[in-house]
Amino acid sequence: MGLFSSITVRSPWLYRINAGSCNGCDVELATTAFIPRFDVERLGCKYCGSPRHADIVFITGPLTLRVRDKVLRVWQEIPEPKITMAIGICPISGGVFRGGHSIEGPLDRYIPVDVNVPGCPPRPQAIMEGVLLAKQLWLARLEEGEAGKNKAAHAAIS
Amino acid sequence: MPRFLKILVRNLLKGPATDPFPFQEAFTPDRLRGRVVLNPDLCLGCGICRHVCPGEAIRLEPDEGRTGYSFSIWHNTCALCGSCRHFCPTGAITLNADWHGAHPQTDKYRHAEHHFVPYLRCAGCGAPLRPLPPGIAARLYAHSPLDMTQVVKLCPDCRLTATAKREGERYGTTANPG
Repeated sequence: MGLFSSITVRSPWLYRINAGSCNGCDVELATTAFIPRFDVERLGCKYCGSPRHADIVFITGPLTLRVRDKVLRVWQEIPEPKITMAIGICPISGGVFRGGHSIEGPLDRYIPVDVNVPGCPPRPQAIMEGVLLAKQLWLARLEEGEAGKNKAAHAAIS
Repeated sequence: MPRFLKILVRNLLKGPATDPFPFQEAFTPDRLRGRVVLNPDLCLGCGICRHVCPGEAIRLEPDEGRTGYSFSIWHNTCALCGSCRHFCPTGAITLNADWHGAHPQTDKYRHAEHHFVPYLRCAGCGAPLRPLPPGIAARLYAHSPLDMTQVVKLCPDCRLTATAKREGERYGTTANPG
């Protein structure tokens, strides 16, 4: 099993959460995924429909009061290790909605973000760059997890 | 010829539709709004960019010793609308096509641009003075017979005094009664 997982290429599955976005970034995410021109499936990534299958989660939107609890609940359903990406300026800083009465963001007040992709909306290529960065972080975190598990196993044996 | 053969040949000639981006440089239009940049040599410090910025991405404030003002742009709250470029009277703010913005969370607050524009000192009284770029000064004083290279070195108060003296001399009264 160890040899098998070391020679295979890991493929992160992607999941999207809309935290009160204007839909601009969601359109860019759909564009990045679904049209052949910016095919993310070349990079081994695949969209999935359930948070329980996801490895990398994209969050768009400034985290409004109305969706805050729902976003947190869905985010907590994603198994560890997960990489959270903030797409667009809204989840990163609040963007043009910063300081609004119904804005609970920025996102990192509630959720530990790993990768930021600024833009309003970001270019599909910029999102792909972010996905590559997230994939690196995810692989590093997986290895850390494996190493930690092995260490624990060794400690249990000796 | 059957129709599918036609399509097959056309597709073979056209090649793949996928952008080779992560493995090659992506096509970027010249006028893509990718990132805001400031040319501090042209900045007047008027603050119109801060006023029109919808994301409050631009911060502009004098330092404590009043030796100059700091100008920062935080790209993580910039909507790339281009209002600052549109309203900048001197063309100091431009947007370039550099769209490579993805960064890890540790660099969140480093994804910014900082400049420090020093104040000039007034040639008359030594008060701090916002620099006036020569191009703007030439435009402002285009119809004036004055030597604008001397005028732009004075603060507003000293400029008033200088004008009063000059006008006084012109009308034949004593320039400085006190």
